[in-house]
Amino acid sequence: MAKEQKTSGAAAGAAAFKTFTPMAARPAPKDLTGVTAWLRTNLFSSVPSALLTFLGLWIAWSVLSALVSWGWVNAVFQASSRRECLDKVGLSGACWPGVVVWIPNLIYGLYPKDQVWRINWGALLLIVWLLPLWLPRVQSKIIIGFSTVLLFPLLASYLFLGGPKGWIWTALIAVGLTGFLWSLLTAASESLGGGPFLRLAARLMGAKTAEEEAQRGRLALLGLFAIAVLLVTQWNLDFVPTRVWGGLFLTLVISGFAITFSLPAGIILALGRRSKMPVISLLCTTFIELFRSVPLITILFMFNTMLPLFLPAGVEVNQLLRAIVAVCLFASAYMAEIVRGGLQAIPRGQYEAASAMGLGYWQSTSLIIMPQALKIMIPNIVGIFIGLLKDTTLVSIVGLFDLLSMARAIARDPGWIGLFLEPMFFITVVYFIFCFAMSQYSMSLEKRLGAGERR
Amino acid sequence: MALTDSGSMIAQPRQGQGSLLNNAAFRAGVYQAITLAVVIGGFWYLVNNTITNMSQRGMAAGFDFLTASAGFSVSFTLIPYKESDSYWRVFQVGMANTLLVAAVSAALATAMGLIIGLARLSNNWVIRNLSRWYVEILRNTPLLLQIIAWYFGVFTLLPNPRASMNWSDTFFLNNRGLYFPAPVPESGFGIFLAILAISIAGAAGVILWGRRRRLLTGRIAPVALPALAAMVIVPALAFLALGSPLAFDRPALQGFNFRGGINVPPAFCALVIALSVYTSCFIAETIRAGIQSVGRGQTEAAKALGVSSSRTMQSIILPQALRVIIPPSISQYLNLTKNSSLAIAIGFPDLVSVWMNTALNQSGRAIPIVAMTMAFYCVVSLSVSLLLNIYNRRVLLKER
Repeated sequence: MAKEQKTSGAAAGAAAFKTFTPMAARPAPKDLTGVTAWLRTNLFSSVPSALLTFLGLWIAWSVLSALVSWGWVNAVFQASSRRECLDKVGLSGACWPGVVVWIPNLIYGLYPKDQVWRINWGALLLIVWLLPLWLPRVQSKIIIGFSTVLLFPLLASYLFLGGPKGWIWTALIAVGLTGFLWSLLTAASESLGGGPFLRLAARLMGAKTAEEEAQRGRLALLGLFAIAVLLVTQWNLDFVPTRVWGGLFLTLVISGFAITFSLPAGIILALGRRSKMPVISLLCTTFIELFRSVPLITILFMFNTMLPLFLPAGVEVNQLLRAIVAVCLFASAYMAEIVRGGLQAIPRGQYEAASAMGLGYWQSTSLIIMPQALKIMIPNIVGIFIGLLKDTTLVSIVGLFDLLSMARAIARDPGWIGLFLEPMFFITVVYFIFCFAMSQYSMSLEKRLGAGERR
Repeated sequence: MALTDSGSMIAQPRQGQGSLLNNAAFRAGVYQAITLAVVIGGFWYLVNNTITNMSQRGMAAGFDFLTASAGFSVSFTLIPYKESDSYWRVFQVGMANTLLVAAVSAALATAMGLIIGLARLSNNWVIRNLSRWYVEILRNTPLLLQIIAWYFGVFTLLPNPRASMNWSDTFFLNNRGLYFPAPVPESGFGIFLAILAISIAGAAGVILWGRRRRLLTGRIAPVALPALAAMVIVPALAFLALGSPLAFDRPALQGFNFRGGINVPPAFCALVIALSVYTSCFIAETIRAGIQSVGRGQTEAAKALGVSSSRTMQSIILPQALRVIIPPSISQYLNLTKNSSLAIAIGFPDLVSVWMNTALNQSGRAIPIVAMTMAFYCVVSLSVSLLLNIYNRRVLLKER
């Protein structure tokens, strides 16, 4: 077409001297927007692509239709035993009543039913404690976040376990309660524009200078602790042995412990591995490499069989604690490598500038290096948390009743004997929701934190 | 106030300024000595307790049990094993089974991961989203749950041998596992193997010659087809000329069970499928990230130079993407090897199940058995990371 035009243009040029004939305009491209254009570019751009589209649609259709007909259309929603379900639809439909009846057990394990409120209150406490992190006017978010992670276990330990408490445990619970009260009061006073709670309290007590403020602030904190001790001594809960803990509750307790422990332990191990002192570096490297190169299940087995041997005769360590120790050590080795990766990403200039400003090792690490490194590491840290949540299913192999074991226990319930696929499907959805939500949140966080670096 | 402080410091040095306490090397020595003392003390405490506990319970330590007869059977073994064999043999059986599961799953995971990873980059909306949800669903649910679901939800529910699923009387799948023909070499098979080796070497030679010619002259020699021909046609002709020296022992139903062929137990099938499906998600993400890490400008530059799209992929994108893909993929293979220890949940006799569970319970030698198991995994993972470090050093961008 273009060639034709050129020759005709040349002919015209020969005939009429220097008459400019523009090339005919090419037709406008067919619709580039709209439904048909979208279909063409995304589904039917070529013959193979069209075939792939049909193949993909067929796969999606067969999976979804099988799932819907099993889980919804043919499913039984009202029955009192598995026999009844089987009589109605056989194996072609799901038998949901078995799962519905067991939902309390799947969530709380064998925790006494009249005590289950304690777990609910524990969850509520955690949510209330973390709530200030989403309030825009609160400034002390970092310290509130740390107080939650480090002090919530102290308070929760008594809430979940209960029973008689010695004075050391009383003090620890009171520390936890102090942290909670402090977080609430700080969030309230900062939201209302009064600044940090301790400063406000100090000012109310008549502090004038900064020194007096710090002094009376500490006094206020001590007062808060005294109130907490008073409350804790009045607080009596029945003892619930850990052997009846189970279900989703146990899964979250173990992974929560591991998360709490692994972050500080991982930071210390990573700093140790990068340290210039050969002995410390060697010890940390050995620990990290050892725990990273063996499977979690061998560590769980090891602690299960060997922890009673390691401790002095007569010291009993219950099975839950053994599993928690194993998972914590495992997680901190992985966390250490993530932290090390983050530390390596910080340019040398930052270290040099920090030491040029006269900051010592701990100052430059905690004020300059760590805040930057932690920001880089957030996606990977969340990745570890997701991994931990999934890995806690392994404790079912060493005899703890986590979510997976409870789901499999339904098959042994006389009324619902052999019910397997339905509970498995249910807990798959539970795990998926937890893990997927975490990964999506981490991605959005990454986007928000990295906003400064993007062009 | 701070000013007067520092001022006075300059005027009259504090006492102890020159003392050992301010000497960095000395302090480092003290810290290390303290750490070492704490660690050694802790170890001594644990070892001491262990010795006391073991003597109280009448437990023996040491590796002398390794030569004793194990006396239990193992349901699936890659290497020959009988009940009267020693514990040392049981350890070997466990290692072989673990490595077999890891190798088969790694191969399958790579193939699936490659397909899914490329599908995630597809221009086709359906394929892209299908592969995305495959990855999201499978990597966000626990592996143990998947293994148990495959085993109890699929492989144990298969029909019995008499009603087994049958592909052209060659492959059979039933609740006792997968049956397929076993190759039986006959006379002349050795000659065939030798010819095969020679033709592969020839094909490699052709490819190397082509590469050298390209480097010297800049001309691309058409080596792909001749190399393929040397590798396939020559051995095929030799195979026929030697009178097909490889027979197959086909499985056949006799009574209630199959005889002949190779039987892969359901636990092995479930484990391999679960492991490879789970790992394929991570490998797919690695491959996707690797290909995306190659800048768009590279593709555009190649297109501007008139390089064909397959050539662009082969010579420009892949070499750069592999640098990013290989290290995380290898750590995924390591994870896969470690995850194969979950076999214990479905009773497949891998190292952890047969050695750390059965053998430990039989012999009661907790410490040597736990140590040997951990040593195996440590050796595997440390040697792989050593190789990875060497590779990383080789492919490191040469920056000037």
